[in-house]
Amino acid sequence: MTGSQHMTVNGVAIDDTFAEAFGMSGTALIITADSMKWAMISAQTMTGFGTSVIGCGAECGIDYEVPASETPDGRPGVRVLIFGFSPDAILPQLKNRVGQCVLTSPGSACYNGLESQQRLALSSGPRFFGDGWQIAKRFGGRRYWRVPVMDGEFTIEDTCGVTTDAVGGGNLLLLGRDRAGLLETAEAAVAAIAKVPDVITPFPGGIVRSGSKVGSKYAGAVASTNNAFCPTLRGTTKSELDPDTIAVLEIVIDGLTSKAVADAMRTGLKAVTDIGASKGVTRVSAGNYGGKLGQHHYHLKDFVA
Amino acid sequence: MSGLRLRLKSPPVGRLDLSCLQPVPLLGHSAHGVAHMPFGDGTLGDLFEISATGEADTLILAGTTANCDGIGDGLGAGIVIVEGDAGAYAARRMTGGRLDIRGSAGDYLSAGMKGGLVTVGGSAGDFAGGQLAGDKFGMAGGTIRVAGDIGERAGERMRRGTIVVKGKAGPAAGSRMAGGTIWAEGGFGAGPGPLMRRGTLIGPSAEHLLATFADCGMHDMVFLRLISRHLSATLGELAPRPLPARVRRYAGDMATIGKGELLLTN
Repeated sequence: MTGSQHMTVNGVAIDDTFAEAFGMSGTALIITADSMKWAMISAQTMTGFGTSVIGCGAECGIDYEVPASETPDGRPGVRVLIFGFSPDAILPQLKNRVGQCVLTSPGSACYNGLESQQRLALSSGPRFFGDGWQIAKRFGGRRYWRVPVMDGEFTIEDTCGVTTDAVGGGNLLLLGRDRAGLLETAEAAVAAIAKVPDVITPFPGGIVRSGSKVGSKYAGAVASTNNAFCPTLRGTTKSELDPDTIAVLEIVIDGLTSKAVADAMRTGLKAVTDIGASKGVTRVSAGNYGGKLGQHHYHLKDFVA
Repeated sequence: MSGLRLRLKSPPVGRLDLSCLQPVPLLGHSAHGVAHMPFGDGTLGDLFEISATGEADTLILAGTTANCDGIGDGLGAGIVIVEGDAGAYAARRMTGGRLDIRGSAGDYLSAGMKGGLVTVGGSAGDFAGGQLAGDKFGMAGGTIRVAGDIGERAGERMRRGTIVVKGKAGPAAGSRMAGGTIWAEGGFGAGPGPLMRRGTLIGPSAEHLLATFADCGMHDMVFLRLISRHLSATLGELAPRPLPARVRRYAGDMATIGKGELLLTN
């Protein structure tokens, strides 16, 4: 068996290792529409192509559905989270994503979803689509813009809160001997994590099959395949895999706070161990860089009940 | 701080400026101490019967009439309750706190106001939320709620904030308005919004529309939900009824930049 196993829970080995995560900046928006269907369409569109800051500029995802009674305009809504290296790096992503995906979505409106002293100019791009016909209204200390569009008006809050205490890169690595069962287990973990507020799992369906290492043999590539966890390379590289491992899936977690990321990892790990080895999962590990790069370390042993 | 109640011993025969009566610093003193504070040629005790109350941070002015001007002038914090009428310039340049006038208010109610909440149990005179002489703009924040009617030119040069009138707003409401919202549940008098540049007038009807307001049709606008919910949170049971799903929008005053609007709910 490869790696330093710490314990076994319900037939699944838990490595004595940790996930190494990084400080990030994050913001949250509430997107509303005439129906939950259209609020979700808008939210899914604006958070698309938001898996990794490396190639997408931001890491984005849907946090949760907001009932009509809790949104600013009393319509169904969706809370989305957006993470970047800094508030300045998030701002152009906000402008583009809200401008291209929320402003354009029928019946949509866009509001701040995070109370924070530090603010981002949420409306600084989309409001100018009004070409001079945009109207500002201030109610109760919050300023909104009304931008005339072809189905009426697009309403957007002037600013949104941003935190620099966010964390990106919390993760769980699921290793197994059955690819279909492994995926099923990972899906269950992602579904459990989705119930934790203030976190997202930004990759497709919340799951990554192409974990990366830093650097590459090719100039210009900042990341490349994590060969130590590629099962087809087991005989040709210094592998981290057990002989019966045929697939590895990773769940990456970003959160507005370190506690939210820890809660998500605990919840995800519990979902995996509750299913146990019955679906083919043999081992749970976590990705790190030796502890020298990321400020946040989440030890798996701390999350085992 | 415990509360104080100041009751006028007799109605004033002329104008009486009460702008100096503020919760801060009056509530920091005993009733006896306040009675000996200088006021005009005498003391407050010469004019008022003064007693302590159990209502924290609250100054109650009782027995006031329409001759009592400047009540709540520059109010920044605390609560002032007026058990009677208020004269002109009540809540002038108010920045915070709350002023409750159980009777009616005179002209220039909340002129130059920047924050806080003013409620009037009766009606209010002309230029409510309006512009003071020498000022560039009128009301710039806060909320006014009048249970009765308001007079002419409410919101003159108003820039921000909200005026809610349960009754009717007099002629030329929103005159030269630059922002903010006036919601008249009883409708508007003749010619709302003359030379209005920006801002929103909401009501069921207007006696006479200016020719320089352009009909933009019936619309369902998300911002109507925002203002209804905001006022519900701010005013509670005093809030106006939620707006209907669709309103008729008139843009104006097209004699200026035309970025204001009159929204008719009927």
